[in-house]
Amino acid sequence: MDAFKLMKELRANYEQEGYYIPKETGLNLIESTEQNGAGISAKCRDAQVEDLWGLSSFFGYSTQTFVLAVNLLDRFLALMRVQPKHLSCVGLSCLHLAAQRSAPDATLSSGHELIRIGQRRFTASDLSRMEKIVAEKLHFTSSAVTPLTFLHLYHQVALGQSPSRKEVLSLEKLEAQLKACLRCMSFSKAKPSVLALALLRHEIKAIQSEDMWEMTCHVQRHLKIADAELQCWAERVARCLSDYASPRCSRPNHKKLLWVVSRRTAQNLQSSSCSVPDLPTIPEGGWDPSQSEDSSEDLSSGEESLSSSLEGEGAYFPLHLRRRR
Amino acid sequence: MSAISASEKVDGFTRKSMRKAQKQRKSQGSSQFRTQSALVELSPLPQLKDVPSTEQQELFTQKLQQCCMLFDFMDSVIDLKSKEIKRATLNELVEYVSTNRGVLVETAYPEITSMICTNIFRTLPPSDNPDFDPEEDEPTLEASWPHIQLVYEFLLRFLENPDFQPSIAKRYIDQKFVLQLLELFDSEDPRERDFLKTILHRIYGKFLGLRAFIRKQINNIFLRFIYETDHFNGVAELLEILGSIINGFALPLKAEHKQFLMKVLIPMHTAKGLALFHAQLAYCVVQFLEKDPTLTEPVIRGLLKFWPKTCSQKEVMYLGEIEEILDVIEPTQFKKIEEPLFKQISRCVANPHFQVAERALYFWNNEYILSLIEENIDQVLPIMFGSLYRISKEHWNPTIISLVYNVLKTLMEMNSTLFDELTASYKADRQREKKKEQEREELWEKLDQLQISHSGLAHSNSHMLHNANANNNNVNNNNNRGGGGPPDAAQNEDMEVDAPAPAVPAEGPPGVY
Repeated sequence: MDAFKLMKELRANYEQEGYYIPKETGLNLIESTEQNGAGISAKCRDAQVEDLWGLSSFFGYSTQTFVLAVNLLDRFLALMRVQPKHLSCVGLSCLHLAAQRSAPDATLSSGHELIRIGQRRFTASDLSRMEKIVAEKLHFTSSAVTPLTFLHLYHQVALGQSPSRKEVLSLEKLEAQLKACLRCMSFSKAKPSVLALALLRHEIKAIQSEDMWEMTCHVQRHLKIADAELQCWAERVARCLSDYASPRCSRPNHKKLLWVVSRRTAQNLQSSSCSVPDLPTIPEGGWDPSQSEDSSEDLSSGEESLSSSLEGEGAYFPLHLRRRR
Repeated sequence: MSAISASEKVDGFTRKSMRKAQKQRKSQGSSQFRTQSALVELSPLPQLKDVPSTEQQELFTQKLQQCCMLFDFMDSVIDLKSKEIKRATLNELVEYVSTNRGVLVETAYPEITSMICTNIFRTLPPSDNPDFDPEEDEPTLEASWPHIQLVYEFLLRFLENPDFQPSIAKRYIDQKFVLQLLELFDSEDPRERDFLKTILHRIYGKFLGLRAFIRKQINNIFLRFIYETDHFNGVAELLEILGSIINGFALPLKAEHKQFLMKVLIPMHTAKGLALFHAQLAYCVVQFLEKDPTLTEPVIRGLLKFWPKTCSQKEVMYLGEIEEILDVIEPTQFKKIEEPLFKQISRCVANPHFQVAERALYFWNNEYILSLIEENIDQVLPIMFGSLYRISKEHWNPTIISLVYNVLKTLMEMNSTLFDELTASYKADRQREKKKEQEREELWEKLDQLQISHSGLAHSNSHMLHNANANNNNVNNNNNRGGGGPPDAAQNEDMEVDAPAPAVPAEGPPGVY
């Protein structure tokens, strides 16, 4: 796409994006809810998004699907009061909806498979009902304007004249970073255009490319994004990404996962765990306490070398061994 | 055994089915054959508790001597009275030795050991069933068990008697005794082996002078088992005794013991009948590692060297053992073997046999192993990633796919950045592969089409073909496909007949070779 068209596209999306931002009051409510409270807390939402990230990675869904699913989830949660026990159903239905819309021709896992792998407790019909509810409430038809939309456009702009820059500014890396950010609820409040721009600038700063930086300033002016707003989100992005990139890993709470094995393996595991020996330990070279004093023939300091047993019992050992002492 | 009539034989030999039917009728064998030709009846002696204590010693000796009489249990009707007398006597002797003090005077030892030797030391008969499968078939039990059991019991009480003096006993319980005892471990009767196990354990504990000898003989038995006969019924029992010995090793471990581990215990994993004694073997190995953690690396490398390639049942056992080892491994030792170990585990995880894959994936349910992986995630994840990702798409078993999800999710949460990087590079690799495949397909198609369009020109180009062939000696022979000449030939229609075509191969399809 030539530069002019790109800019037009950007503008068009920019004007649309307002419709796809989750309701601020709703998001605030979630953030202020305490964990284990009556409603959904930010931690719950984050955990659910983590789950969705895992599933979409496992099934090989595109970034587009994941981002769209998170967008739907956030919008729905901001709009409706959802009980925590329904959260996993809502999450999965958002993912399924997004998968169906984003890649209708790709091999799609049916709802059954999603539920089974995700170790959910509801049925496929529950899932499809929830999907209908979500789609209805959000007036969802085919797609939404998400940070990813902008990210793709910005990326094309930044590449601009020289497509060789693709190696330097990797779209995959940016997408991964976007996914990392979305796992944190605070980023749902950001406008997609601003978030994407902040992300792009963060990466450009890292690779230290002057002219690409110029491009981003140009875009910012074109869309009339306020400096303060951009700066604020840029800081948050930086913090989030430094956490993500740190080598420190978080210990997963694997107890939440269900480990189902076949009957035979389960039997095998059971039988191997109870192998308690019933013969008491025999200490080496130690004096058996029940034995009477008998030091003369016995070995000095518990030495158990072969030669000691040769004393007097000639019959079983060849001569050359005996001589070797 | 009833005689088989001639009509039931084929070629003069009894048909196998007949023989098997006959054999199955008798499930008991006895290794004791009547040695006395004349039948001697036992005369009942008075009870020990009924005689005054001054005479008890003498009576005790007499009873012992009486019990040296052996009876034929294969025939269930003869000598019933005498057998019963002997049984009652033995019973009485067992009780006498267990409950009374001052029984074991010096003169009693030779009588006791002589009675024991006479009764239990015998040549075990060859197995009735040469393809004895311990898990399926019934073992051949010892027919004279009613007596032999009591003799074993007696021996045990004798050894455990508080007045027992190893310094006196060792004149009689010597290396010859032990050697014969060890041979009995090959008995098919599990009850006998159980007794022998306990008895040998006590002997090892009490006779320090015999310990090295016992260890050496057990070594020999094992080595014969591994490398020569592949048959010995008492491996599990001997390993159990060894377990309690290993548990008691003093530190630092002697070289002799380390040698035993590497030269005997590890190769023992290759035995065909591993399932019969694997639990005990694994226990021994783990005990060694608990005593001396520096042995971890050689042990694991040894196991990896002998890793089963075709027997899935064994693979599951090996995986169980690895998990037990990992349960006690020290983190520094883990670092040394993580690479080869996880390479093997990643192969197991992708194994089409679902039990093997399940057992390998179940490692991730172990807290301690998870913590080890977490510390070394940078090394482990790249090794595991490829096969995990691949089977998540390709494996036939849905349970496995759920387990793979669990494992991937766990690894994902441990280090998301690394995981994302690996996903990206894996995808990139696959894309490159796909592209290559596609290119190859297209090339073949192109060649096919050229060939088709050539077939009409084949005749007129036949002498051109000759030249082309002569010049194409270094090149792969696409030319031989259905008589189509070098691809260029059709395009240069005004090509001269003798024009050499060495240029053609150079322009030929590159990736095909």
